[in-house]
Amino acid sequence: MVAVEQISPVFAAIVVVALPFIAFLIQALLGKRSTSGNISLIAICLSTVISMVCVFAEVWQSIPRSATQPWFTIGINTFTVGVLLNNLTVLMQLLICVIALPVHIYSRAYMKGDPGIHRYWMYLSLFCFAMLGLCISKNLFMMYIFWELVGFASYLLIGFWFTKESAVQANKKAFIVNRIGDLGFLIGIATVFSVYGSLDLVELFGKEGRFYSVASENSGLLTLAGIGFFIGAMAKSAQFPLHVWLPDAMEGPTAVSSLIHAATMVAAGIFLLSSVFPLFNDTVLLIIAIIGVTTAASAAYFALAQTDIKKILAFSTISQLGFMMVAIGVGAWDAAMFHLVTHAFFKCLLFLGAGAVIHEMAHLKHDHHLDFDPQNINNMGGLRKQMPKTFVLMAIASLALAGFPLTSGFLSKDAILISSYEWAISKGGASILIPMLLTIVSVLTAFYIGRLIFKVFFGEFKLPLSPSNIQDANKTMLLPMAFLGICSLFFVFSFNPISYHDANVFQGFYVDYSFEEVHTLHLLIPIGLTLASCFMWIIAWRWYVKGSYPLNAASKGIAFSLNQAYLNQFYTRTIVAGTVNLSKGLYWFDRNIIDGIVNQLGTLAKGISRVAAWIDKYIVDGLINTLGGTTYYFGHLLRWVQNGRLQNYLGFAFTVLLIGIIYLILT
Amino acid sequence: MITLTHFLVVSAILFCIGLYAMVSKRNAIMVLIGIELIINAAILNFVAFGRYDKVNYGGQVFALFAIVLAAAAVAVGLAIILNVYRKYKTINPDNITDLRD
Repeated sequence: MVAVEQISPVFAAIVVVALPFIAFLIQALLGKRSTSGNISLIAICLSTVISMVCVFAEVWQSIPRSATQPWFTIGINTFTVGVLLNNLTVLMQLLICVIALPVHIYSRAYMKGDPGIHRYWMYLSLFCFAMLGLCISKNLFMMYIFWELVGFASYLLIGFWFTKESAVQANKKAFIVNRIGDLGFLIGIATVFSVYGSLDLVELFGKEGRFYSVASENSGLLTLAGIGFFIGAMAKSAQFPLHVWLPDAMEGPTAVSSLIHAATMVAAGIFLLSSVFPLFNDTVLLIIAIIGVTTAASAAYFALAQTDIKKILAFSTISQLGFMMVAIGVGAWDAAMFHLVTHAFFKCLLFLGAGAVIHEMAHLKHDHHLDFDPQNINNMGGLRKQMPKTFVLMAIASLALAGFPLTSGFLSKDAILISSYEWAISKGGASILIPMLLTIVSVLTAFYIGRLIFKVFFGEFKLPLSPSNIQDANKTMLLPMAFLGICSLFFVFSFNPISYHDANVFQGFYVDYSFEEVHTLHLLIPIGLTLASCFMWIIAWRWYVKGSYPLNAASKGIAFSLNQAYLNQFYTRTIVAGTVNLSKGLYWFDRNIIDGIVNQLGTLAKGISRVAAWIDKYIVDGLINTLGGTTYYFGHLLRWVQNGRLQNYLGFAFTVLLIGIIYLILT
Repeated sequence: MITLTHFLVVSAILFCIGLYAMVSKRNAIMVLIGIELIINAAILNFVAFGRYDKVNYGGQVFALFAIVLAAAAVAVGLAIILNVYRKYKTINPDNITDLRD
């Protein structure tokens, strides 16, 4: 143990980040020779252990550590790379490891036999590396690099089955939408740098950071920076209206969806906003809260009518991320981080469970040579008899998602709801709409997740064949799920199942709330919400299992929800078509105007050159040639004089003499 | 009576004959003879002009010197011609064109 304690947490954190990267490199070098995933698995195992023992245990609730190394200098500004370890970053790092590990184990069984499995492990390690690096970056520039890497790795993973057209479109969409957000992030970084002259998180937001010592007179710039960072987070964390990539990203393998949704990519936005939280002024916070609640509400609505099991979960993620955004917007980013952590476990579990179901359905499809969508919940039903373990785990995760007491989701969701109510009460006015909407979303969450569970696991099997082949997944898949199931319960986070204030994760952050605590709310909201959720479940039960309230599938509300409010079509018509038309216009302009001018200029230049060539050839050269020719002629004329004959010379001499004499005589 | 003019005319004729011989003859000996004629024309002039210098007889003295010089020059010229002949096996000046490049 002594040896372990002597390792500096900073070094250990770097090792944690480096291990998946090394695994990525080895995996890339070995290529198809390594398909078992052992390398990636060992790397993530070691990372998890090191992260827990040497980093988390050392730093959590203790002194923050950091290390900085100059990287390059431009002018007087030196850019650095560094590691920052505080409660927020070590928690995030541990969370990523702890989520990534079960996903890795699960993937071994889930992805078995895939022809591109060697690529899968490579990408997965790269993704883990990028995410782990992102969370311990000390400065924003380094963070941005990892941020981009995360985007790139997700691009690779979403388009993993690249022979499928829809997967290719999905990864392109994810990448492009994320690029839009990255631009915002970059603008934020640039603005912060121009105002404070530093990108170092400690230098900016530390106890004696420039953020507090340098009084900025330009609040407009700060708002711009805050909005920039928020746009970055909006794209990564799939906030309305940049959320469109996330449902499409379901084209990737389910294990990947699980990882992306639980702790890594979409969490990055929340993590970023928590890291730079002091930067946000009231305007930006209000925008964040509004966007967050819009996202939560719209995604919950879209989730109601989806038939693809993974898409329901995807919209659920978006909705929950909206919750976290609201928490940040009201200033309770500790609640956001808490929800992020609890959500990671149960959402990861939900995806893995969905993956297990899809796996079995796909096998059924394969065995019977049938053509049906294995992800469509309308084809399932009554699976609890065939997959009891999966059912129990999924049920736990669903209860957690709905915020049922005794689960972790209860604690964190209440934390957000109560904080937002308290905030709204202190603000007064129309701000009460935000927590009220959130409450409705919360109830809707219970409904749509209830719908998923009831449709998949209760009632009768919908397809006209026997579901007897369907069974629980093997241990490699079940064990990680069981682990996540345990982590979805309250005692992992707090020994008090009622009050979120006792949660360990919550106590790691020190947030000054701008609002007063209202004690009655702490009692009213949990009880009210639980009752409302139960009521929704009863309705859902009657609706989907008993078949009451038959519903017109063609109704406008359902179609609107199923098509995600036609947002994709809207984007296709306006932005995509607009861009294509603009490009066409530009192409025409380039082709006809620019090229035309250039061609005209070329023709003109050619004409001028021809004239110049003629002048050169006939006038300049002609003059010189004439001169040369004349000289040559005269030279030729005089050549016969110098013939080497003495007598001729004498004759000339006398002739000249004679001429001279005659001249003298004549004058 | 015979005047100075007669002398000068004879001298000019002699000079011209000498010059012609010098320029046109194909034999180096004849060229030498042409030179002699030119010198003789000059000497004749000296002698003719010498009539007007009764005190010192400068013209006659010059003529004597010139004769001696001409003799010496011819000796030298003959020596050169002999050497040229030995080298070129000809004494036709037209064929000796080493001055030309």
